[in-house]
Amino acid sequence: MMLLLAQVLSIAALAPLVQGVMKRLRANLQGRPGPSPLQPYRDLAKLLNKEALLPHGVSPIPLVAPGIVLGVAVTFASVLPIVAPNAMGIVDVIALAFLLGLGRFVLALAALDTRSSFAGMAASREMTFGSLVEPALLLALLGGAALGRGTHLSVLPDVPFGLAGMLAFAAFFLVLLAETARVPVDNQETHYELTMIHEGLVLEYSGWQLAMLQYAGYIRQLCFLVLAAMLLPGGAEGWRHLPWILGLMGAVTVVETLFAKLRLFEVPQLFGTALIFAVASIGLRVLGGLA
Amino acid sequence: MLRSVGVVTMCVVAVLAAAVAAIGFRAHGAEIAAATFQGAVPALALRFAVTPLSAPFCALLAILTTAVAMWCMRRGAPGEPLLIALFTAAMLLVLVARSVALFFIAWEAMSLVSAFLVAAHHDRRGVRRATFTYLVVAQTGALCVLVALTLLALAAGDTSFAGIAAHAARLSPGLRDTVFVFALLGFGSKAGLMPLHFWLPRAHPVAPASASAMLSGAMLKVALYGLLVVTLELAAPGPSWWGLALVAIGTVSAVGGVLYALVDHDLKRLLAYHSVENVGIIVIGIGVALLARSAGSSALAGLALVAALFHTINHGLFKALLFLGAGTVNEVEGTVDLERLGGLWGELVWTAPFFLIGCAAITGLPPFNGFASEWLTFQSLVGGLSGGGLTVTFVFVAAIAGLALTGGLAAACFVKVFGVVFLGASRRIDARPAVRERLDASTTGVALLAGLCIVLGVVPMLAVGPLAGVVGKTLGLVVLPPPALPVLPVTLALLPLAGALLCVVMAARRSIRFVPTWTCGSPVSAAAQYTATAFSKPLRTVFAFVLLPERQRRYEMGSSRWLPERISYRTESRYLVDEGARRFAAVILRFARRFRLVQSGSLRMYLAYALAALIVAVGLAR
Repeated sequence: MMLLLAQVLSIAALAPLVQGVMKRLRANLQGRPGPSPLQPYRDLAKLLNKEALLPHGVSPIPLVAPGIVLGVAVTFASVLPIVAPNAMGIVDVIALAFLLGLGRFVLALAALDTRSSFAGMAASREMTFGSLVEPALLLALLGGAALGRGTHLSVLPDVPFGLAGMLAFAAFFLVLLAETARVPVDNQETHYELTMIHEGLVLEYSGWQLAMLQYAGYIRQLCFLVLAAMLLPGGAEGWRHLPWILGLMGAVTVVETLFAKLRLFEVPQLFGTALIFAVASIGLRVLGGLA
Repeated sequence: MLRSVGVVTMCVVAVLAAAVAAIGFRAHGAEIAAATFQGAVPALALRFAVTPLSAPFCALLAILTTAVAMWCMRRGAPGEPLLIALFTAAMLLVLVARSVALFFIAWEAMSLVSAFLVAAHHDRRGVRRATFTYLVVAQTGALCVLVALTLLALAAGDTSFAGIAAHAARLSPGLRDTVFVFALLGFGSKAGLMPLHFWLPRAHPVAPASASAMLSGAMLKVALYGLLVVTLELAAPGPSWWGLALVAIGTVSAVGGVLYALVDHDLKRLLAYHSVENVGIIVIGIGVALLARSAGSSALAGLALVAALFHTINHGLFKALLFLGAGTVNEVEGTVDLERLGGLWGELVWTAPFFLIGCAAITGLPPFNGFASEWLTFQSLVGGLSGGGLTVTFVFVAAIAGLALTGGLAAACFVKVFGVVFLGASRRIDARPAVRERLDASTTGVALLAGLCIVLGVVPMLAVGPLAGVVGKTLGLVVLPPPALPVLPVTLALLPLAGALLCVVMAARRSIRFVPTWTCGSPVSAAAQYTATAFSKPLRTVFAFVLLPERQRRYEMGSSRWLPERISYRTESRYLVDEGARRFAAVILRFARRFRLVQSGSLRMYLAYALAALIVAVGLAR
């Protein structure tokens, strides 16, 4: 139990740093000096002290949505099998997908309640991509692990790595780019209303509510990075995934620098690719008798 | 007066159903409390009995009837409750029928009474047409059911279900498969499986809301009960392709149903399409159970069947809730067109939160009941993934992907429904004074369903325990639910709930300031809100190859060449299945024209036909 608490606290403590480092790295790769890696902490502190504004006449949903989203992110951090492989063994791959759906659902409802057409547009796009990415997410994790081993997350690091594992990882990496609002799908740095998805969803949020949402986003991002690292070879022990996580942070940043954002209606093809990778991975495992 | 009589009758039927359910859950053997009425013809004997398998369906019937009766006390037309009571009684009769003749009589009674319910607003446009479509499908389906049951009875030489079941093991493979195909056509069309679902989105929305709640919540389930009785008992054990076919059909129904729901903007029709989706999910569970049973892995079969039955109960609960909510919206606003609704949260202060619970439950969000049963269905699919050959793996991977996609699309659809209907600002053009809903009998009925959605979600073992018993008695095995299930919903929902509370506390301590929505400086207008059509636009485009959307844009130019005075936009989906059905109907009609020759219209000719038929019948009977 203490170990689990330590896991959640360390993820929560490091998540803004990960965001800061990636932002700095991206700026450097683009030839800009970029902000300090500690900037996200300062931003969060600043926002926490600010007053929150909400549109007139909203229901309680936009009020509680940031808390629910943050709760989902912290739950995500607690179910990762890092230090305590079996402590939260009851939450499996499938339950995880449903859990992520909860945060998305509430945030999209809150966006629609704000009466802003930009938020509505973002809600529409978020739910579109959310529904398309879900099969790929589930099959990538199942392909990485579950065949014959159950669906628990804790089996992920024990799976032998091979071609099938590589395909599962490739599928999951594409999912990761979408779920963390990264460039081929979304752009965290944009504030041009017609292109943003995640930024549009939180357009009407401010102050401590915005801080909660951003913090939840950082935690979610680190959790996805950890999960992706677990699909790579490295063994089950604690922090041996650390080099992979650092490598993945670099990889995401390089992808963000090298590629342009895809046109909205080309994004589903990306998810289709991920789905094909995942299905191929499962097929290989079945054919290879690993099932 | 009429309303009171109807509501009381409904309550009586509900109590009866509850009693039957209580007997069924306690039953140890196959049939208890049996009674047989031998008529003059032994083949037409009417046999009543309660079986464990019918118990969950009866329990669902009892709950739904109670909730709908409460809703009917305040809302709906006064004549509706009595018809619904009859309808429920007919469904109850189907569930306790244990001989071919009684089952068929009860089945037909159910179809006919429900047809009257569908035709309740027969003076409105399109209602008679919908009723006609419903009747045609219902009668064709009933015919298929009759063929399947008669084939079985002939083979067994007995018309009681117990007798047929005793003979089931000796059926020839060809006959077994024929029976399965006819049962699938008959029960599947009634349950709304694709591609025989097309009557459903026509009939359900035109029926009164209370009737829709019973049609979607209960009648589809009775059809699935029929399918279960045939596949698990009367014609069991089936070959593995039955299960595989059901998984495939279920997946198609689930994905197809939710896709059409997504682009539909009539609230009730949209809900009807979601019934197609959820019946698909249930049938996936049934398919996995049959497949596992034929492969001999009884643990998986038990798990899958529990998942299917649990989702049956859950879908009944939240779908009835949503239909009753839609009925309330319809009475308050006079429309169920999503494009004209909005901002009802402030008026329907009771229905809106309950409706939100229904939306969350049907989407499968933890900790509501839909999550528990969908999770179980996924578990059974993953469990079967690595069992069979390559075909099984392929179908199961497709089913997992399909089910995941369905979950995502359902979430998108219910964000649309709830966001557009209840949240935001009202899209009403004519101003009318806001009416604040009060807590009365009808809202209490909806609250009952919402409460059950929460209770069965947080404590899934309340339902899974008895269901495991039912499945165990039906299949003759011991079912162990996954050990994670009892604690999973709470584990997932605890921190999000704590987060929500944190927000409330924060808001109380450091007040939130309410300001106008930021609209880049232009005046705030309700018309600028995202609409249902706009919301579903990206998915309509992505799935254009299924949905075949058509759009019309019209510009009415005024004095200026560049600035149109009015722009109108219409989009509509064509239905692949309807196109197919239309062609099929054309072929049938052409064929039917040939047979006009025998329809001379002369009375003497018809008497001659009757005489000839009689002679043939007597000749055959000798």
